Amino acid sequence: MSNNWKSYKPLLIPAIPDLHEISVYEKNNGYQALKKILKDRKTWSPANVVNEVKTANIRGRGGAGFNAGLKWSFMPEPDGEPRYLACNGDESEPGTFKDRKIFEFNPHQFIEGAIIAAYAMHVEVIYVYIRGEYRPFVQKLQKAIDQAYDKGYLGKKILGSDFSVEMHTHMGAGAYICGEESSLMESLEGKRGYPRVKPPFPAQRGLWGRPTTINNIETLANVPLVMNHGSDWYLEIGPSTHPGPVLYGISGHVNRPGVYEYPAGMNIMTLINEVAGGVRGGKKLKALIPGGSSTPPLRADMLEGVTMDADSLREAGSMMGTAGMVVLDEDTDIVELVWRISHFYDHESCGQCTPCREGTGWLEKTLRKMKDGNGEMRDLDLLLAICYRMEGRTICALADAAAWPVRYSIDRFRDEFEKKCKKTVYAVA
Amino acid sequence: MPEIFIDNKRYEYEKPGKVLQFMLDNGLDLPFFCYHPSLSIPANCRQCMVKAGMPVFDREKGTFETDENGDRVIRFFPKLMTACSLDLADGIVVHTHHTDDLVKQAQADNLEFILINHPLDCPICDQAGECPLQILTYKYGPEGSRFEHKKVHKPKAIQLGPRVILDAERCINCTRCVRFTDEISKSYQLSIISRGDKNYPMTANDQEFDDPYSLNTVDICPVGALTSADFRFRARVWEMNQTPSIDMSNGKGCSTWLWTRDNMVLRVTPRFNEEVNDHWMPDAGRLAYRKFNENRISRPHMRPDETEQVRTSWNNARLTLLEELEKVSPADILVIGSPHASVEDNYALRTCFSRLGVSKFLFVPHIESGSGDGFLITDDQAPNANGVRSLGFEETEGKALAKLIETKKPRLIAILDDDLIGRTDLTREHFSEAWTVVWGTNHNDTTQAADLVIPVTTAAEHAASYVNVDGRIQRTVPAKETMYTNRRLNLEMSMGRLDHYGTKFDNWVTDANRVDCIPAWEFLIRLEDDGAASGWESSRQIMEEIAKAFPAYREVSYDRMDEENGIQLKLEQDSEVKTA
Amino acid sequence: MAETYTFDAKDLAEIEKLTAKYPEKQAAVLPVLWYAQDKFGHSDPAVQKLVSETLGVPEAHIRGVVSFYTQFYDKPMGKNVLDVCTCLSCQVCGGYDMLHYIEEKLGIKAGETTPDGQFSLQSVECLGACGYAPMLQVTNDKFVNHLTREKVDKLIEDLKAGNKPEFESNPMPQHEKGS
Repeated sequence: MSNNWKSYKPLLIPAIPDLHEISVYEKNNGYQALKKILKDRKTWSPANVVNEVKTANIRGRGGAGFNAGLKWSFMPEPDGEPRYLACNGDESEPGTFKDRKIFEFNPHQFIEGAIIAAYAMHVEVIYVYIRGEYRPFVQKLQKAIDQAYDKGYLGKKILGSDFSVEMHTHMGAGAYICGEESSLMESLEGKRGYPRVKPPFPAQRGLWGRPTTINNIETLANVPLVMNHGSDWYLEIGPSTHPGPVLYGISGHVNRPGVYEYPAGMNIMTLINEVAGGVRGGKKLKALIPGGSSTPPLRADMLEGVTMDADSLREAGSMMGTAGMVVLDEDTDIVELVWRISHFYDHESCGQCTPCREGTGWLEKTLRKMKDGNGEMRDLDLLLAICYRMEGRTICALADAAAWPVRYSIDRFRDEFEKKCKKTVYAVA
Repeated sequence: MPEIFIDNKRYEYEKPGKVLQFMLDNGLDLPFFCYHPSLSIPANCRQCMVKAGMPVFDREKGTFETDENGDRVIRFFPKLMTACSLDLADGIVVHTHHTDDLVKQAQADNLEFILINHPLDCPICDQAGECPLQILTYKYGPEGSRFEHKKVHKPKAIQLGPRVILDAERCINCTRCVRFTDEISKSYQLSIISRGDKNYPMTANDQEFDDPYSLNTVDICPVGALTSADFRFRARVWEMNQTPSIDMSNGKGCSTWLWTRDNMVLRVTPRFNEEVNDHWMPDAGRLAYRKFNENRISRPHMRPDETEQVRTSWNNARLTLLEELEKVSPADILVIGSPHASVEDNYALRTCFSRLGVSKFLFVPHIESGSGDGFLITDDQAPNANGVRSLGFEETEGKALAKLIETKKPRLIAILDDDLIGRTDLTREHFSEAWTVVWGTNHNDTTQAADLVIPVTTAAEHAASYVNVDGRIQRTVPAKETMYTNRRLNLEMSMGRLDHYGTKFDNWVTDANRVDCIPAWEFLIRLEDDGAASGWESSRQIMEEIAKAFPAYREVSYDRMDEENGIQLKLEQDSEVKTA
Repeated sequence: MAETYTFDAKDLAEIEKLTAKYPEKQAAVLPVLWYAQDKFGHSDPAVQKLVSETLGVPEAHIRGVVSFYTQFYDKPMGKNVLDVCTCLSCQVCGGYDMLHYIEEKLGIKAGETTPDGQFSLQSVECLGACGYAPMLQVTNDKFVNHLTREKVDKLIEDLKAGNKPEFESNPMPQHEKGS
């Protein structure tokens, strides 16, 4: 797929003016997937919809990359009591700014996907959790939801069927951790966003103790595509192990930053050089953070032939994350950068678990000392030790997210760190 | 029976539960901070990490997979697990610090993290000596700190409420206090505020932490973040002796510890009793320790004429009472038992006065309607109403008693430890036409109005039993010495570590705090002419006699009460047993 | 000094609608705090008390929530709160330069409010506009992207004159090329 990206026509956010208006969306095949399902509920029983989506292998676009249909299949049999779908629009991972594009330019495709997901999982209430900083985008989504209610795609007895579902927006208020799915549920329940101990998993005990599934916004926007065109068609897009379109958020030192939609598995250098117009000011590329701040940065020389999909990035030594790519030029001060990332995680740690609460602050303080030129060589070992002691020791993955960039940066840019450190020689006592 | 393997040793379990609690129940050690058996499990301190795995089950063969040695193949969880939140599962394998170096390392790592922002101010911290963080750090912690930055500063010495003081810097965010107010006391007065390493527990703005159970948060705080305003800086914990007892301040009779030094009770904390109070007790019961130390009646007091009371000798007191008893006929004697006094003392009162020919015994329950909360605070203000009632004392109300005195005009009134004037059932005038003897622990309106006052021991000084509002009989042991007891000689006295290993000179230096008093029964037997009609030498013997005399007490003995943390009585007057 | 805040009948009707979205009242804590903050400009203790009483949720809990989420102001702020992103993409694209420029221009440090109460300035974490760095957000609402000194000058003039920034749409570059 070396060059056919050039002819790729966006599917998640097609270039259609005013697509956010329901009438325009309807004219462009909108809500057809939902209609198709509700018209032929024998073919499209909830279980069959789950299977179709599972086959399509839509890998969660929120960072974990888990098969969305498989996640849906974890929901227990309905027992007549409430069950919930929570749509995760918290999008707070630095470097990530893609879901807001869906809210602004193609909200109905997400709404349609969420309704189908609700149908497939026997859910009657959908909450869309969106970070509080996105207030203008929440308003845009709310407008689209209102339109969908007016047209009978949401609410009681949708399109004359006996299927009903409500959709509510819920605005966060400034807490990165609320993007973690159990923390998101706590926040939705009106509490401090403390991640929950798992098990029980959300499908067992989620919102208000009831079965709940949490899906990313972009993930759900893929669902109508699968239902309209079939999983076979969907699997043809991008690599078979990580199929479908992806919203690449490219930022940092590039000429044309922004969100681009291409199939998964795009060559990274193509994305940087051709799609985003290359490194700004004709400078050399130093490094790339491929999928948001928690994904380990890759040195320029590690990017050769690497593509934006889970497998290729794992091999290269990083992760797909949210596909929020931060491009860093040769003048970037890695120590300064890593300090700022640590500062972020220190600020955002909820403070519940010991290793994260204390470890993020310790990393931040040590890196601050280092970037201010007061570091010592032994601090590098200390930083690594702190990272190892944080990873895998907490309820949620924030500690890991905070440790990885530090650990891998030291590993991959050790000389830059060493340059910032004083060469103190300690007499052996 | 399902099985669990901990450090290569096999155990069986009956009920589903968590690994940490199972280990604690089996006397195995594992460090933890946030876990508390009576609270929800947040697994946030991350201290109780273990390596855990499950045997691999071969579905086709229907057996567990085995390796070449015939041992089960274990699939370990990829990460260390917190034992507090880990479910017991049949065949689960757990490795602790005893058998796994990574676990040992992880426990030390976690303590290093906890300590980086913890002020190491143990020398001035009240918690020192009974501080889980201190103890576990010595046992499992790292040898030093590699933290070379300024610690996070937070508010210190904040008066959270009338009884609790917060040092936020010491807090390790275990959230036990918040969970206590949310789940147990349900006052919802605390929340963790802020975020990350700036977190600490706090009340709403300008709101007082006046939860009537607030001091329980001090008990369960695993560090010195929450301390008792009353006990703060009063003593180091290792200077005190700890004696099991029960709460005298209301009808629930919570199991307690009395903490003593130099014959003073310095604080009261709850003692676990599943049947009564779990791990908790109301604040009021803790502050009641003052009654054991302050305003005590020491030596008998009498009023020779209409003037002030004066101190007198025990012998004089005894002879005076005998003289007064000679003067009146039994019908003119009014004997009032007390819900504040023990079963044994009430029984002795009744027995001795029965011998004198008195047949009617009254008592006035001490009820404040509406003050109970259905939890550990009862309407009943006395610890032993059911006990007095069960011994055949006739229950009467304050007003009825007053009327009785006004109409029947008894010539001699005998009152066992009960401040009937103070609680406004009676007035001084009721004593004006009778000669009055009161057995009392503390000076109060009633003792001051009496003609003869016999100082008696408190629950902190005697071995005696009390029957709570639910009909459960529990007993006390002496925690502090009186003028006539000795820690080493008194067999009912609990022996603390200091008694065993300290010397009299380095621990029990003050004789001044000994009160000149005796148990009421000891005085009462002296009224008998030959002094030996009853033959009691200890309260234990009295209880043996009661057990023979009263069907409800048939199964009761001191030994059984000690073993079972109290005994549920089947009171004959079950219908009359009042529950708060 | 202590102001009292109240919800009128219209507010209570709106809050009723917000609560109706959830099976439990407590879930409405965030929406109602937002509603209150929009109305009163902050979520100080008095506002927290009002929200607590309105929803029947313990006040300590409300305080815990307000202090957890950075967008809730637990004390009155300037009329315009400038949240300058300095995180990651904004950091490497001059976010700190913009922050320092504004600090200099307003004569305050990040975290402070101008004496006239017009502006509060904060250095904040990623706001989700990484492709349009450096950027800032005005009082929890509109984003102002691609900051330059000139753009900052104009923004501050506009805000002083009472003009709030308009919503800036950042189209997909792909679309522009295609159309």
